[in-house]
Amino acid sequence: MSKILIIEDDIKLRKELKIFLEKNGYEVIYIEEFCDPVKESLEVNADLILLDINLPNIDGEYILREIRKLSNVPIIMITSKDNELDELMSLNYGADQYVTKPFNLQILLAKIAGLLKRSKITDTNQNKIDCKDFILNMSKSLIEKDDKQIELTKNELKILYFLVSKRGQIVSREDIINYLWDSESFIDDNTLTVNMKRLRTKLQEINMEDIIETRRGQGYILK
Amino acid sequence: MKLIEFVKGKMLYLFLLVIITATIIIFLLPYNVDLVIMIYIALLPIIIYILCCIAEYIKKKSYYDLLENNLNKLEEKYLLCEIIPDANFIEGRILKETLQQTNKSMIENVNKYKFAVEDYKDYIEMWIHEIKIPLATSKLIIENNKNEVTKSIDEEISKIEDYIEQVLFYARSNAVEKDYIISKSSLKEIVNSAVIRNKESVIYNNIKLILHDLDKEVYTDSKWCIFILNQIIQNSIKYSDKDNKKIEISATESKNNISLTIKDNGIGISKKDLSRVFEKGFTGTNGRLIGRKSTGIGLYLCKKLCDKLDLGIQIDSKENEGTIVMLTFPINSFNKLV
Repeated sequence: MSKILIIEDDIKLRKELKIFLEKNGYEVIYIEEFCDPVKESLEVNADLILLDINLPNIDGEYILREIRKLSNVPIIMITSKDNELDELMSLNYGADQYVTKPFNLQILLAKIAGLLKRSKITDTNQNKIDCKDFILNMSKSLIEKDDKQIELTKNELKILYFLVSKRGQIVSREDIINYLWDSESFIDDNTLTVNMKRLRTKLQEINMEDIIETRRGQGYILK
Repeated sequence: MKLIEFVKGKMLYLFLLVIITATIIIFLLPYNVDLVIMIYIALLPIIIYILCCIAEYIKKKSYYDLLENNLNKLEEKYLLCEIIPDANFIEGRILKETLQQTNKSMIENVNKYKFAVEDYKDYIEMWIHEIKIPLATSKLIIENNKNEVTKSIDEEISKIEDYIEQVLFYARSNAVEKDYIISKSSLKEIVNSAVIRNKESVIYNNIKLILHDLDKEVYTDSKWCIFILNQIIQNSIKYSDKDNKKIEISATESKNNISLTIKDNGIGISKKDLSRVFEKGFTGTNGRLIGRKSTGIGLYLCKKLCDKLDLGIQIDSKENEGTIVMLTFPINSFNKLV
C-alpha cells in the first residue's frame, strides 16, 4: 500500500482528506506540528506528499524546495491560489502537480495514481491485467484469451477496465459515465448503450458474452 | 486660434482708440492745424496698435496651434501639460501653471481611487482563497458520506463555487495591472477542463457532446480561458431545450488565428437581444424565462476578459435553432510574451 503524507494546517480538511484517501486504498499520515516539517516529512518516508502552500510559520514553497534538495518523492501542491503565476512557481521549484481547492476529488485521485505509477519501477507485465477468464492488455487495448486477440476501442477498454476493477459489484450506468468523463471521454447515455452493445458482441467472439450481466434499473455487474 | 475671433476680441480697444483720436482731432479743429498733421495724428496710433495686434496674433497663434495639435494627437489628454512648450507671454504661462496644478490634484485623486480599487481587489482575492478551504472541506465531507442528502448539498456547493469564481474574475477584470500570464497552452486541455466542470449538468440533461479538431496550441492564459469557456458552456446547458440536446466544440485554423466554435441547438437568442448580450446586467427575454435565472454578468465578463487577453469573441444565434459562440486566438500573440 502506498503511503501518502499530508502537510496541511486546516485540521478538518486534512482529517477528511485522510478518510477519503484511506477509503481509496492508501495509507495516510499527516504532520500535526509544524516545527520542522521538512525533517518530519523526510523521516516518514512517504511515497507521495500532498503539500499546502499556505502554512503557519513556514512557507509551503520553502518546504518544497528543501525536500527537493534531498529527495525525489512525488509532490502535489494543494492550494486555494488559482493563478498561473503560483502554479508556474511551484512547478519550477520541483512540484509534480498542482491542484487547487476545492479539488475535483476524482482528478486528485487520478493525479495521485498517475504519479505513484510513474515513480515506481515499472513492472513489465503491469500493463496486462489478469481477469481470470481473459487478460486485459491495457497498453495495446486488447482482450487476450488463449490465442485469440480482440481489439477494443478506447471507450470499450475503459468500460471493461472499470467493470473489472469493480468485479462482483453492481455498477450503475451513471458510475460508468462518470468514470469515463473523469478520464476525458465525454460520452452521453446513448453512446454508452452503443459501446456496451459492441463490447458484448466482441466478448461473444470468445464466448464470454454472459460475463457482463444487466441488472434492470441498477446497472451492470461483471461476474 | 481663429483670426476672426482674435479680431473680435480686439475690436473694443480699436473702437475706443478711434473715438479718442476723433476727440483729439475735434479739439484740434479750432486751432487750424495742418491737414497732413491731423491725418498723421489720427492714423499713427491706430496703425501702431494694429501692428502690435498682428505681432501678438502671430505669437499666440503659433503657441495655441501647437497646443491644440498636441492635444489632438494625445491619446491620454491629461498628459498635455507635460508636453506644452514654455510660453513667452503671460497668459500662456498662467495656463501652463494652472494645468500643472489641476493635473497634479487630479492625479492624486485618481490614485486615491486606484489604491482603493486595488485594495478591494486584494481583499476579494484573499477572501476567495479563504472561503475555498471550507468549500474543499465540505466537498470532502460529502464524498466521505455519500447519500441522497449530501448529493443534493453537493449540487448546491457546486453552484456556490461557480458564483465565487465569477466574483474572482470580476475583480480581476477590473484590475488595472496585468495579472495573467500568456503561455503556450493546449486547446484540448483547456476545453477538457471546462467541459469536466460541467460533468453533472451535462450528464443530468443528457446532452450529447461533440468535440473535434482540438489538437492545437494557443497562446493565452489557460485559467482565464477555462473560465470564459465555462461560462459559455454553462449558457449552452442552461438554454438547451430540444429532445436531442447537442453541444459541439471544434476549432479551425487560418493563417492569422485559431477559432474555437461552441455550437448548441438550444433556444437561441432573439435578434433584438443579440446585439446587447455583452452588456452588463442585460438578461434579455431568455434570462427572464422561468427556471433560467440570469444575472447578466456571465457574457459581460467573458467579453471583458477576452478584451484583456486580446481574444475575439463573437456570438451568433437563431431563435429556436441554437447559438454559436466563436473565440478567436491570434496566432502571433506570442510576441506579447516579451
